[in-house]
Amino acid sequence: MVSKRFLLKRLLLLVPVLFGVATLVFAILHLAPGDPARIIVGQRASAEQLQQVRTELGLNDPLWVQYVRFLTDAATFQFGDSYQIAKGTPVREVVSETLPVTIELALFGQFFGLALGIPLGVVSAVKQDTLTDHATRIGALTGISVPIYWSGPLLILFLSTYLGWFPASGRIGATIFLDNSWQLLGTELPLTGLVTVDTLLLGNVDAFLSAVTHLLLPSLVIGIYSMALISRMMRSSMLEVIRQDYIRTARAKGQGARITVLKHGFRNALIPVVTVVGIQFGSLLGGAVLTETVFGIAGIGTMLVEAIGATDYPLVQGTVLTFALLFTLVNLGVDVTYSYLDPRIEQ
Amino acid sequence: MSRSDPTAEGEPPPLATALRRRLRLLASGVAVGAPAGPVAVGVLIATGRRLPDAVAAGFALGTLALGFGVLGWSGSILAGPGIAAARDHLAVGSDWTETGSRRAMTRIVGVGVGVMTTTSLLETLA
Repeated sequence: MVSKRFLLKRLLLLVPVLFGVATLVFAILHLAPGDPARIIVGQRASAEQLQQVRTELGLNDPLWVQYVRFLTDAATFQFGDSYQIAKGTPVREVVSETLPVTIELALFGQFFGLALGIPLGVVSAVKQDTLTDHATRIGALTGISVPIYWSGPLLILFLSTYLGWFPASGRIGATIFLDNSWQLLGTELPLTGLVTVDTLLLGNVDAFLSAVTHLLLPSLVIGIYSMALISRMMRSSMLEVIRQDYIRTARAKGQGARITVLKHGFRNALIPVVTVVGIQFGSLLGGAVLTETVFGIAGIGTMLVEAIGATDYPLVQGTVLTFALLFTLVNLGVDVTYSYLDPRIEQ
Repeated sequence: MSRSDPTAEGEPPPLATALRRRLRLLASGVAVGAPAGPVAVGVLIATGRRLPDAVAAGFALGTLALGFGVLGWSGSILAGPGIAAARDHLAVGSDWTETGSRRAMTRIVGVGVGVMTTTSLLETLA
């Protein structure tokens, strides 16, 4: 059982993390060239119009005033309305619409990473220095080395264009339309935004299959990178564990090799891997940004890229802080899992 | 009766001592950042920027250091065990430690605070 003190300490650490991210985003946006007021009013606007918009947005205030105002708003997660990309729509609304798309992609990617990486790592460790081990290690190194913006188009070219196994872009078939809500015991409830979950909630199996087929390729692209690191970690961790005395004792007492590895070795070897999964979730979200662009998925990543281009301060700030919050919450979950697997960590 | 040495191995220093150490670390950063702010503004003016723009850019540079420092400090605590585990298991030759990282980040926070303070003062005076 995880202690309350440990949880509280971890939760308190979220405050400086989010403060740090908010400050960094503010700094980078204000150091980057481009005037949001100019983008809003257009190139032909007069100097008076430009000044009016700047005053309305508070861009004429001293920077430290803008910084304090931004921090106060960020503390309540109020970033105002989008300047340009979703003109006039509250940032919170825009983020809540697009975030599930990216989360779904990242979760599927993580699933692929874990489902492929852990068994490969275990097999590679158990069959150390054999052909299987060498092949797995080379595969892992290749996976880490290949960037998503290269592997994505290659997989599209091979699996979609040549073989026609998977759709090349989108989240669901173009002819499938989903309702805006679903019913539970006569009550109308909103959908989650996760297309695979929503299609199941609506009981539309064809749509679900279409959603899964659309998600497979982009998830695989993200998952390959994740799988590579996890399998490497799992291999080295497993190698360390299977050399321990207690494993030798279990074998000496007549326990089968497979049971010894899976029952005694696996859980202990998993501990360092769990921590890496948490750290890696950040790169999965970053990877999702690139993957969305490659596969034409309208998630939060694509929107963030557009918002940066349009100097849409509120949208960029809101999106990046949401990413930071997600990342820190996942790491909190990882810490809890870690301390469950190894209670010594709480000390 | 002699008191035991609070800095003896295995015994954490008293709160006041620990706080003083951290404040000293922060102050050493502020001591660098405070004069660096006006210097940065001067350099920006010399490169052709107007005073208000130079002061704003100087302040933004200060927030950059502050944000980086705070994020690095908390990141060292949050991800420290993970980084150490990855370093050990991937056999990476590195002498990175969580304590060392936190100390460095505290200094960077100090530099950021120093730059932000002096550039804000400049902006108010200008």
